[in-house]
Amino acid sequence: MQYGLVFAVEEFSTFDGPGIRTTVFLQGCPLRCQWCHNPEGQPFVNFVLRSPNGCIGCGNCEKYADHKNGKTIYTQESIDHCPNHLLRWDSVEYTPRSLVQKLEKNFPILNPDGGVTFSGGEPLAHPEFLLACLRLLRGKTDRALQTSGYASAEVFRRVLKEVDRVLFDIKLMDDDTHIKYTGVSNRRILKNFTILKESGIPFVVRTPLIPGVTDTKKNLSAIADFLNENGVDYIELLAYNPMAGAKYPLAGKEYAPTFDEKAPVNFGLEIFAEKGIAAKVI
Amino acid sequence: MTDRVKKLLAILQERKYRARRTHTKMDITDIAADKDQYMQIALLMETMLQAQKPWLVENDLFGFNRSEAEFPDIRLEDGTYLSAQRSKGNTCIDYEGVMAKGMDALLEDVRMHRQSAEGEQAQFYDAVILSIEAALDMADRYRAYAKEQGAQALYEALCQVPHNPPKNFHQACVFQKFLIFTLRCNRSEHMGIGRFDQYMLPYYLADKAAGKSDEALLEILEAYFISINMDTDIYDGQQQGDNGQSLVLGGYDKYGNDMYNGLSQLCMEASMELQLIDPKINLRVNKTTPVERLEYATRMTKLGLGFPQYCNDDVVVPGLIALGYSEEDAYNYAVAACWEFIIPGKGLDMVNIHSMKFPLELERALKEDLLNCDSFAAFMTCVKQKVYEACQAIIKRCNERSFAVSPYLSVLIQDCIGRGKDVYRGGAIYNNFGVHGVGIATAANSLMAVKQLVFDEKFCTAQELLQALEDNFEGHEVLRNRMLSCPQMGNNDDQVDDLAWELMDCFSENIHGKPNNKGGVFRAGTGTAQGMVYTAEKVGATPDGRKARDFFGSNFSPSLHSKVAGPLSCIQSFTKYDLKKAINGGPLTLEIHDTVFRHEGGIQKVAALVRAFIQLGGHQLQLNAVNRERLLDAQKNPQNYPNLIVRVWGWSGYFVELDQQFQDHIIRRTEFSV
Repeated sequence: MQYGLVFAVEEFSTFDGPGIRTTVFLQGCPLRCQWCHNPEGQPFVNFVLRSPNGCIGCGNCEKYADHKNGKTIYTQESIDHCPNHLLRWDSVEYTPRSLVQKLEKNFPILNPDGGVTFSGGEPLAHPEFLLACLRLLRGKTDRALQTSGYASAEVFRRVLKEVDRVLFDIKLMDDDTHIKYTGVSNRRILKNFTILKESGIPFVVRTPLIPGVTDTKKNLSAIADFLNENGVDYIELLAYNPMAGAKYPLAGKEYAPTFDEKAPVNFGLEIFAEKGIAAKVI
Repeated sequence: MTDRVKKLLAILQERKYRARRTHTKMDITDIAADKDQYMQIALLMETMLQAQKPWLVENDLFGFNRSEAEFPDIRLEDGTYLSAQRSKGNTCIDYEGVMAKGMDALLEDVRMHRQSAEGEQAQFYDAVILSIEAALDMADRYRAYAKEQGAQALYEALCQVPHNPPKNFHQACVFQKFLIFTLRCNRSEHMGIGRFDQYMLPYYLADKAAGKSDEALLEILEAYFISINMDTDIYDGQQQGDNGQSLVLGGYDKYGNDMYNGLSQLCMEASMELQLIDPKINLRVNKTTPVERLEYATRMTKLGLGFPQYCNDDVVVPGLIALGYSEEDAYNYAVAACWEFIIPGKGLDMVNIHSMKFPLELERALKEDLLNCDSFAAFMTCVKQKVYEACQAIIKRCNERSFAVSPYLSVLIQDCIGRGKDVYRGGAIYNNFGVHGVGIATAANSLMAVKQLVFDEKFCTAQELLQALEDNFEGHEVLRNRMLSCPQMGNNDDQVDDLAWELMDCFSENIHGKPNNKGGVFRAGTGTAQGMVYTAEKVGATPDGRKARDFFGSNFSPSLHSKVAGPLSCIQSFTKYDLKKAINGGPLTLEIHDTVFRHEGGIQKVAALVRAFIQLGGHQLQLNAVNRERLLDAQKNPQNYPNLIVRVWGWSGYFVELDQQFQDHIIRRTEFSV
C-alpha cells in the first residue's frame, strides 16, 4: 500500500485556483526558497512541530525528546506531556484512498468550478502517491496541480495526463540567481514549462514578488520575454508575504532571508503591460 | 455620502454630545404609593419623558435624543425596586399597523374600550391612555422646539406625525424614532426594528412617485441610521452595543415571491457607507436567492461589522409553522434583538427567558453517574436524563416567573387593546418562551472523549478521568492531550456530530412545543448569548480538555480550542441536524480572515459558501471578517481604535468598549480563522 505524508488539507483555499477549492499540501520539497512560508513542508519526513506561543517553559518536551548529535528530536511522548498542547505531528499519513475519501466529503458543496489542488512541499516529488490520488479523483472533481515545475520531464509528463489545470511558478530567469535563492537550477523548470505548454492543459504562470530578488526590472523583463516567446499573455503576481517567517519557530528553524524583506515590492506592472501581457496581482 | 450625512456622522463619532446628558436619580415612590401597578408603570414612563428636554444636533432631521439618562424607579415594600421585575422586551412592535393608524387614532381606540371597561381592565386602559398622552406630549414639545430652533423639516414632519399617519419616508422615520425613543423611556429595551424594508416601502414608494431621487432618499435613510445610534451608549444591555436594534431585509412570501426591493438595497448601501453598530442587518435568504445578492452581502461582511446575519426561510418558515404559528405570520417572521425568530407586532415571545446549559448537565452526569456506568450507552442515558430533568426545571421556573406590566408596549403589539389585557398578561397573539441551547460543541466533544478514552480504548478509567477534571488537568497532561486529540465538532465527523444531535434531540423533545402558562409554548434554540462567557465561568474542566471556567464557542459553533478542518466541514457538521426543531434560533458563526475578501474571487467564494450553507439546510449563519493582529493591537492601544466594530454574540459593538473577557473571547475565536 502506498502512503503519502500530507502536512495540511486546507478547505476553502482562495488563492489556489478557481471556485471553492480544497488544497492538499504534500510533505517534502527539493527546493529551499529563502522566502518559503511553509518551512514545515520542506523535509521529506514527518516530525514534531512545537509552537512557542503559550510555552510555560516546563521542559517536558525536552525531557521526553531524543537527543542525537546535539540535536533535539521531539517524540510522541513530548507531545503527550506538554501541558498546553503546543506540540503536534507536522503531517498525517494517508493512503490515496483514505485521502480521497476525506476529500470526497466536501464534493457536494464544491460549486461547479471548484475542485482539489495538490500543492506542497512539491507535489511532483511524490509522483506515485500523487498519481494514485489523481486517478481516483478522475471525473469526480476538477484536479489542479500547483508546482514549482521542478521534476524530471518523465514524471511531469505522466502527471500532466491526470490533471485538469496547472498553476506553474516561474521565479527567476537567471539560473545562477535561481540556484542562489532556491537551491536548485531552473533548467528542468523551464524545460517542463515547454512540456506544459505543448500539452494543451490550461495553466496559469505565477511569480512570487520577492523584494530585490524576483521583482527586479531585469528578472520581470526576462520573464515577460520568456512568456512572449511561448505565446503566453497572462501572469499572476503574488506579493511577498511579510508573515513568511511566522512558521519557522514552529518548525524549529530560523528565518534568515538574505534579501531586505522590508523593502517595498516592485510590481512591475508596466513591464508586463509594455510586452502585451496581462498581469494580475493576487 | 452627502455633506449633511458626513457632518452628522462626525458628531456621532466624536461622542462629545454625550456630555449634554444629565443623570438624575428620580424616586417616585411617594407619588405612586397608592396606585395600581399599571398606573405605577405609566407614571414612571411619564416622569421619564417629562425629564427629557428636547435637543437637536446640527442638521438633525429626527430629534428624540435622550437628555436624561437615568430612569426613575419605585421602591417596593420589601425594599426591592419595581424595575427588577421588568422584562427587557426583546420583541418587535407593530410598526406597520401603528404608523398606518397614527397615535391619535390609537388613543381614540383605547378610550372607546375604556368606556365599557371595569376593574383591572379599566386600570389597564387608564394606564395605556396616560402613557400615550405622555408620549404625545413629548412629541409636541419636540415640535415646538424644532420650530423655535428653525429645524423646518423636522417641524413640518412633527405637524403630521406621530399624531397622524406619515405621508412620506422622512415622516415615517420620524414616527419610528418617536416610537423607539418613547419605548426606551418606558424601559422597553432590546426592541427589534423588524422588516423595515417592507413596512416602510409604501412611504418610500410615495416619495419615488412624487419624483424624489434615490440619492435624496439615501440621505434621509443614512441620517436616520445615524440618529438611531445616538443613544446606544446608554441603552440597557449586557455590554454596550447589545441593544437589539436588528433590522431584517428581504424574505419570501408563501408564493415564493422575492420581497427584496429598492428600499432593501438602499438599507444595505447605507449600512455599508456608514459602518455603524446599528442597525444590525439581517438578510432573509433561501435556496433561490440570486448569487449576485449574496456576493453583494459578502461585500458587507468584508467590512468587518459582522453583518449581515443570514436567516434561511427554507428552514425557519416551516419550523415556525410546525410550532403553531399561522402560515401567514410565519412568512412574515423577523428577528428579535439578536437572532430569535419572531412575528413582528404580534407577540411577546420571551425568546431568551432561559437556557439549557449542556456542559453543566454533562458535568452533573459525570459527577453523579459515570462511576456507575459500565458502557457508554449507559452513560449517555444518564446524560439525557439530566437534560430531561433540566427541561422540567426550566419549564417550572419559567412558569413561576412574574413580570411587571407594560401598558405602553401593549398598545404597540396586537391584540392587547382588543383583548383588554396587558402584553405581559397574555394580551398578545403569541406568548411563547424561548430557551437557548448553550455549549453544545463542548458537551458533544466531551461525550466523544469519554466514549473513546474511557469505554472504547480504555486509555483511562472513569475514576482517573474524574480526578483529572477535578485537578483541572494539573499533573494529567498526557490525558488532556489525548482528550484534545479526540474527534471534535466542526469537522464533519459523524461520530461526534451524532452525539451532539442526540443531545439536541433530547433537549428539543423535552421542551420544544411544550405548553407554558401564558397560553403559548416553549421553543428550543441554539444560541448562547452571554452564556458563552458567563455560563462557561461556572463550569469546571470538561472531558474535551477544556479547562475550568474557559469559554464556550459563540452560539452554534465549534469549541474555541477545536482546530476545525475548515468552513466546508464546519457547515456540514452544523447543518446535519433538523434545525426546524430548534427554531428559537442561534447562528453558526464562522471567522474568516480578512485577506480572503481582498479580491473579487474571494468575494465569489464566500458567497458560494453562504449558498452551500443555505442548500444544506442551515437556519442561521453569521460570518466575520477578522484580523487577529488588528484586534490584539486594539486591545493594547484602544485609543487608536475608537470605531473598530466587532460581532459579539447576536449583536455588534465597539471593540474598545467591551469588557476584557469579551474582547478576549473575540480574539480567541480568530485563532483558527481561515
